Amino acid sequence: MRGIDYVLKRIGFAVVTIFVAVTINFVLFRLAPGSAVTNLSRVPHATQQLRHALEVQFGLDKSKGEQYVIYLKQLLHGNLGVSFEYEQPVSKELRIALINTLPMVTLGTLFSILIGTLTGVIAAWRRGTPVEALTVSSALGFYSMPTQWLGLMLIIIFSGVLPTGGMTNEFLLNPGFWQHLKDLASHIVLPSLTLGLVLYGEYTLIVRSAMLETLGEDYILTARAKGLKPWTIVRKHALRNAMLPITTLVALSLGYIVAGAILIEIVFSWPGIGRAVYEAVLQRDYPMLQGAFLLLTISVVICNLIADLLYFKLDPRITE
Amino acid sequence: MSAPLLRVEDLHVWFDLAEGGELHAVQGVGLSLEPGERLGLVGESGCGKTTTALAIMGLLPPSASVSGRVLIDGTDILSGGEAAMRPHRWVDVAIVFQGAMNALNPVRTIGEQIVESLELHNRARGTAARSRTAELLEAVGIPAGRAARYPHELSGGMRQRAAIAMALSCDPRVLIADEPTTALDVMVQAQILELLDALCRDFGLALVLVTHDLPVVAQLCDRCAVMYAGEIVERGPLDLLYHSPGHPYSRMLFAASPDLAGLDEPVLSIPGAPPRLDRPIDGCPFRPRCDSAFAACVERPSLQEVAEDHAAACHLNDRVPA
Repeated sequence: MRGIDYVLKRIGFAVVTIFVAVTINFVLFRLAPGSAVTNLSRVPHATQQLRHALEVQFGLDKSKGEQYVIYLKQLLHGNLGVSFEYEQPVSKELRIALINTLPMVTLGTLFSILIGTLTGVIAAWRRGTPVEALTVSSALGFYSMPTQWLGLMLIIIFSGVLPTGGMTNEFLLNPGFWQHLKDLASHIVLPSLTLGLVLYGEYTLIVRSAMLETLGEDYILTARAKGLKPWTIVRKHALRNAMLPITTLVALSLGYIVAGAILIEIVFSWPGIGRAVYEAVLQRDYPMLQGAFLLLTISVVICNLIADLLYFKLDPRITE
Repeated sequence: MSAPLLRVEDLHVWFDLAEGGELHAVQGVGLSLEPGERLGLVGESGCGKTTTALAIMGLLPPSASVSGRVLIDGTDILSGGEAAMRPHRWVDVAIVFQGAMNALNPVRTIGEQIVESLELHNRARGTAARSRTAELLEAVGIPAGRAARYPHELSGGMRQRAAIAMALSCDPRVLIADEPTTALDVMVQAQILELLDALCRDFGLALVLVTHDLPVVAQLCDRCAVMYAGEIVERGPLDLLYHSPGHPYSRMLFAASPDLAGLDEPVLSIPGAPPRLDRPIDGCPFRPRCDSAFAACVERPSLQEVAEDHAAACHLNDRVPA
């Protein structure tokens, strides 16, 4: 049966990729200057004994090889280490930030994919008309806007109408479930919209060019000769073929959702993973960064795997 | 007298050029086709034969402007625009394109693509459509089980057969075949030609065969129209054109075809190139390449009867026989 080999091979590749990324992740942070001990023992009168005790505590007296094996073992148990700044397990801190980020970034990304695909198809279909000029120029406009600037503009326009910062209203004490949901929904609009607007232009342009290429194919002429209506041709013959290159792009950008959106989370004070990474950089919170990188790697690799499998399902020509 | 099955009257096509100006690709073409008749439309690349074929079905891109009439049973199908043309497509006139590879959608099975046209024109639905598809595939020599295959899983010849099966799905009365055997190897070419021949006979199809390949026309057609620089310069029964051509271009075209020129005769080539169609043509368009041009050729000749059912556009025929 077609495909079992392919699927297994792709999964194998994904596992190897994650392993290599984990290794690079480990090496990268051992190359960073200083260690946990130099940071922690930077107190007056730190003795050699204290320093050594700390080294033993952090396992830094062991060789790099041993440390690597321990790191892998702990990873398998889901232990990402302890954050320097919060003195809490990294996995717990990341989980909280991720839960905050996911709805906001997912919403914005889905918005951009839907609007981008729609306007891209319309632009290609209405080629040479003012409709195309309008969709393409607005897509280019939003695509080239700096994210933080667009965020600030939306704040100026909508302040007073919608909340412009944070995830919830801090003054809402003991809200009911629906009250809380409504509060959350009103806070999510502006950051998601900002993200959606800066991202959708890219989709418009890519979908448009993929559609234009497909609409020039001979089988589109055949479809017209058969007597199909234009919209049926777009839906049944053009879109499916044009979606092939777009699938990869969509899957990749879904992979980056877990990275959050640093600029947007800072502009809108959204306590998400992008802001957590930014703060970890400022505080040299290496375990936190290492954990965030790992999360991002795994998410991108998995989404790539999904793109490969989807591509395989959509395009019967792929056999290997 | 009843109207012919397909009649094309004074067809003109202009393409807007990107750099400005217009290209007058088809310049007053007239054709007529009776049921079951097979017409070869021949000429060198760029003479407007494919453009004529596409214009008959209203398939030219928006950059083309078309004038003239295309009549099916006496009814003009061009005048109503795209929406009025749609019900005639595939039902009255179907087309097979050259190089079946790209004429079939690569991500849908050939069965799906045939079923689509059956359902679109309400010929059959569901199970009935699938069994009709199986019949059609068998009729063109493809095992019915291959309906579930994708185009890339079939050979070039099989793909062309599938494209023909698809064209026959709604029992069209006219089949246009645009270079149906180009890009196929010689053996497969012969098979496809035999298939077209048999199908035209069995289904009573009228055929318009667009090609630059004269032996193919000789094998399949009974009538022939020769196009040069966007117009028909000669038309008539094939053997008349071959044995007593009324236009020097037809004569030279036949002499330039190795399979038809005869074994001991050298294969000739026609020097020069056709005129540019983006500017007005002065006099006879073939004059610069013609071996028989004379004073009268500064006037553009029109298509005149030279014998019964045989017309040519050449001043050589003007001389009144003594």
